Amino acid sequence: MAVRTETAVPSWREGRVTGWLTTVDHKRIGILYIVTSFVFFFASGLMAVLMRAQLSQAGNEIVTEDSYNQLLTIHGTAMIFLFVVPILAGFGNYLVPLMIGARDMAFPRLNAASYWLFLLGGLVIFSSFFADSGAANSGWTAYTPLSTDEFSPGTGQDLWILGLHLTSLSSLAGAINFIVTIHNMRTPGMTWMRIPLFVWAIEAYAVLLVLVLPTISAAVTLLLLDRQVGTEFFAVENGGPVLWQHMFWFFGHPEVYIMVLPAMGMLSEVIPVFARKPIFGYKAIAFSTIGIAFASMLVWAHHMFTVGLPDYLQAWFMITSFSVAVPTAIKIFNWLATLWRGHLWFRAPLLFCLGFIALFTMGGLSGIMLATYPVDYQAHDSYYVVAHFHYVLFGGTVFGIFAGTYYWFPKMTGRMYDERLAVTHFWLMFIGFNAAFLPQHMLGLMGMQRRIYTYDRGGLFEWYNLVSSLGSFLMALAILVFVWNMAKSWRSGTRVGNDPWGADTLEWYATSPPAPHNFDRVPYVSSSRPVRDLRQRLRENGS
Amino acid sequence: MGRRTVVVIVAAVAALGLAAVPILLALAAPADLGGLAPAGDGSPSGEAINELYWFVFGICAVVFVLVEATLVLFVLRFRRRPETAAETEGPQIHGNTRLEIIWTIIPAVILVVIAVVVLARSPAVEATDGDRSNELVVRVEGHQFYWRYVYPDGEIALDTLVLPVGRPVRLEITSYDVNHSWWVPDLTGKRDAIAGQVNDLRLTPRREGSFDGGCAELCGILHAVMPTTVEVVSEEEFGDRLGALGGQDESGDSQLALGEATWEASCAKCHGPEGAGDIGPPVARLGTLVDEEALRELVTEGLDNPDVEGYMPPVGRGWPDFQLQALIEYIRSNEALAPPEGDGGGR
Ligand code: HEC
Ligand code: HEM
Ligand SMILES: [Cu+2]
Repeated sequence: MAVRTETAVPSWREGRVTGWLTTVDHKRIGILYIVTSFVFFFASGLMAVLMRAQLSQAGNEIVTEDSYNQLLTIHGTAMIFLFVVPILAGFGNYLVPLMIGARDMAFPRLNAASYWLFLLGGLVIFSSFFADSGAANSGWTAYTPLSTDEFSPGTGQDLWILGLHLTSLSSLAGAINFIVTIHNMRTPGMTWMRIPLFVWAIEAYAVLLVLVLPTISAAVTLLLLDRQVGTEFFAVENGGPVLWQHMFWFFGHPEVYIMVLPAMGMLSEVIPVFARKPIFGYKAIAFSTIGIAFASMLVWAHHMFTVGLPDYLQAWFMITSFSVAVPTAIKIFNWLATLWRGHLWFRAPLLFCLGFIALFTMGGLSGIMLATYPVDYQAHDSYYVVAHFHYVLFGGTVFGIFAGTYYWFPKMTGRMYDERLAVTHFWLMFIGFNAAFLPQHMLGLMGMQRRIYTYDRGGLFEWYNLVSSLGSFLMALAILVFVWNMAKSWRSGTRVGNDPWGADTLEWYATSPPAPHNFDRVPYVSSSRPVRDLRQRLRENGS
Repeated sequence: MGRRTVVVIVAAVAALGLAAVPILLALAAPADLGGLAPAGDGSPSGEAINELYWFVFGICAVVFVLVEATLVLFVLRFRRRPETAAETEGPQIHGNTRLEIIWTIIPAVILVVIAVVVLARSPAVEATDGDRSNELVVRVEGHQFYWRYVYPDGEIALDTLVLPVGRPVRLEITSYDVNHSWWVPDLTGKRDAIAGQVNDLRLTPRREGSFDGGCAELCGILHAVMPTTVEVVSEEEFGDRLGALGGQDESGDSQLALGEATWEASCAKCHGPEGAGDIGPPVARLGTLVDEEALRELVTEGLDNPDVEGYMPPVGRGWPDFQLQALIEYIRSNEALAPPEGDGGGR
């Protein structure tokens, strides 16, 4: 693949700004994705802090009941569709071609189109606050009948549908691009059992997206028709309210794994490097990735244990949900085994990985509790669930994303981030996170429903809420430290060479940042750790 | 202070912190459980849920402590020592099939055990076991934004449900508008109220008292303030309370009480107790309030004028005529609300 083909680029595409606007380079697109997603993350994080401010004490009146529901809906929607999913696409974009020794993604222009669709979708969703009667306010799950024109008049919900369509199209095109790239563009020697585990994760991410995104696109299209054209797909006499829930969660639950698998892939890259050991059980992790992806499509109705499904379905969905826990546990054990007898190098990327393991374990176990459907009768739609999914999505995925951000920052920018600030970020975030979300388990079991804008109970109940709010403020502080670190280091961090970490995979063979064509030559790949092999060979030849 | 010392201290603090959390929680919550377990022990089915909760919680807690302890231990034990060069690699172990098999099978077996125990306890959780021949059936309707209860002989109660202690109850839960979810945590788990379907929730209240709950499924702007109370009373008192609700369909105190309850539970939440307006516009003294036809149309169809913020949900779907009449009678009797004589009203 080392053939160099030059294409003539018109000069207006090389300007400092136009160069980015017209780029079809996977690395630039990747960075655009990552930066844009972080901006959306800050915006929806701000909304979360506002919600927590409102809930810090009983009977607060910081936001109104209606704005609370809008904040809630856009926070959830944006975190999922405009932050986690696209930022993972960003890392995938940046890293997959480099990791498999390719020059770019299979369809560079489609790739650019994916990014711009995503940006457009994001702008539509955020600007819906300015629509008449405000943004959508029926939660990120948009359950019918609440989201129909009868109970959610106004254009907010329609804009939400439009935004979802745009981001879904973006993700779908991106996913197809990933699949084609991974299947066809691996450098010689890069067999399936040698591709980095992050690439395995992106493969699973992409396949899942292709399998389930059409369902949500179909669902929101039907909803749009019901709202605008007067069809009655979800009317009681026809599909009924529960049809929406099936369609939504058939997409929605795999979506959770779409969000977590690539972050797990990041862990499988980072931990071995900072433990100075190979990953323990490469095959087990690769196959458990596929196992999770498959099983995740069989569990959707565990979000529906209280809608009155027949007993045999309750049992079935409990058992399938349990079955996802097994491959997940395998991953945790494999990471622990990778740490075992290593020489752990405590830099920020490793810290965030350890944070991931600590917190995701918690989220996984509360997931088992929720899958036990009698327990879910109490915990469902309560703050217990809010705590659970923040443990997996924030404690898991977002900690993984920060690990990845610090780990690949030197590759993307050619500069090292500030370690002191990064460690500060980690501890503020770890402490703030637990303060914010641990008490929410208790709140849920004490009877606090999710999605309420106010409550009137005092005592321990109010204390837990206060602690939770203070924790969220601490997290906001942590984010500021992160932003400061990124901004400062991008401009003036110390310069680094190709491989500051002593890493294993091909992206570290390219320069930092890599040249537009990535590699002059790609070394022949004879294991899953080609860059380490190269180091070994050099050392042997040298001695 | 060397890096190593820092790491040790930090890790030790983290470990202690982790260990301290459950202990502190247990200490902080002497009276009730402070949220360590669901509240529901007010009925055998709630109790069955709690037993399962503790069973699964126990297993999860052990796994949690083992994993976190291993993590902390490895972090302490395998940190890179200052004397170790950065390039030094650990042993190049790529895996171990036997270990992999073991740690695949152990969680699988644990989960099978949990599943079997849960399924075995399912009849107790659903309260389908035992003698239910004298079951009391109450219809529960979730409305935007109040609960409407209908007793077997058609008596209507709003937001407050009275149940006799010790008698099996079946709640037939449904909705006429969006999804709601009926949840009184002290009694048992929740069940969704969905239009077009009736979900049964069985329970047998086993101690007297007043238990608060609410709506657990996002149902719109006032989802947070859609509370309900279940008063569990003796069989005798239950008879009295139910008797007092009799005669709602003929003029009299009962009718006025139903009208007042309807106003308080439904209209007042948006239009204010005196109809002076809140998230809905002021409606006091409007002719519509006492015009049976107009009011019926309003409460069954809702209202959404494009130039008025918010919309009025169809709060009265499923009401029998006498409930609407009761509301009108109450409004007529309320000085703040009643329109001046001769205005509207059609009488
Ligand atoms: C969820 C809040 C809500 C509830 C509950 C509610 N309303 Fe309304 N109501 C509104 C809103 C909002 C409007 C204005 C709708 C519009 O004009 O678009 C309204 C309008 C009205 C109007 C018409 C006012 C006019 O100027 O013509 C009347 C009459 C009325 N409501 C009576 C009632 C009665 C009686 C009840 C109880 C049975 C009730 N409402 C319950 C929110 C509510
Ligand atoms: C900055 C830290 C965060 C804080 C303080 C926070 C806080 C909150 C709060 C207060 C709610 C509303 C709960 C309710 O009223 O029911 C919420 C809901 C939600 N959050 Fe977060 N959150 C944070 C980060 C995230 C992240 C990173 C994700 C996903 C990756 C996320 C996903 C969600 C989702 C999906 C919902 C549910 C929305 C809904 O019910 O429709 N949050 N969060
Ligand atoms: Cu409700």
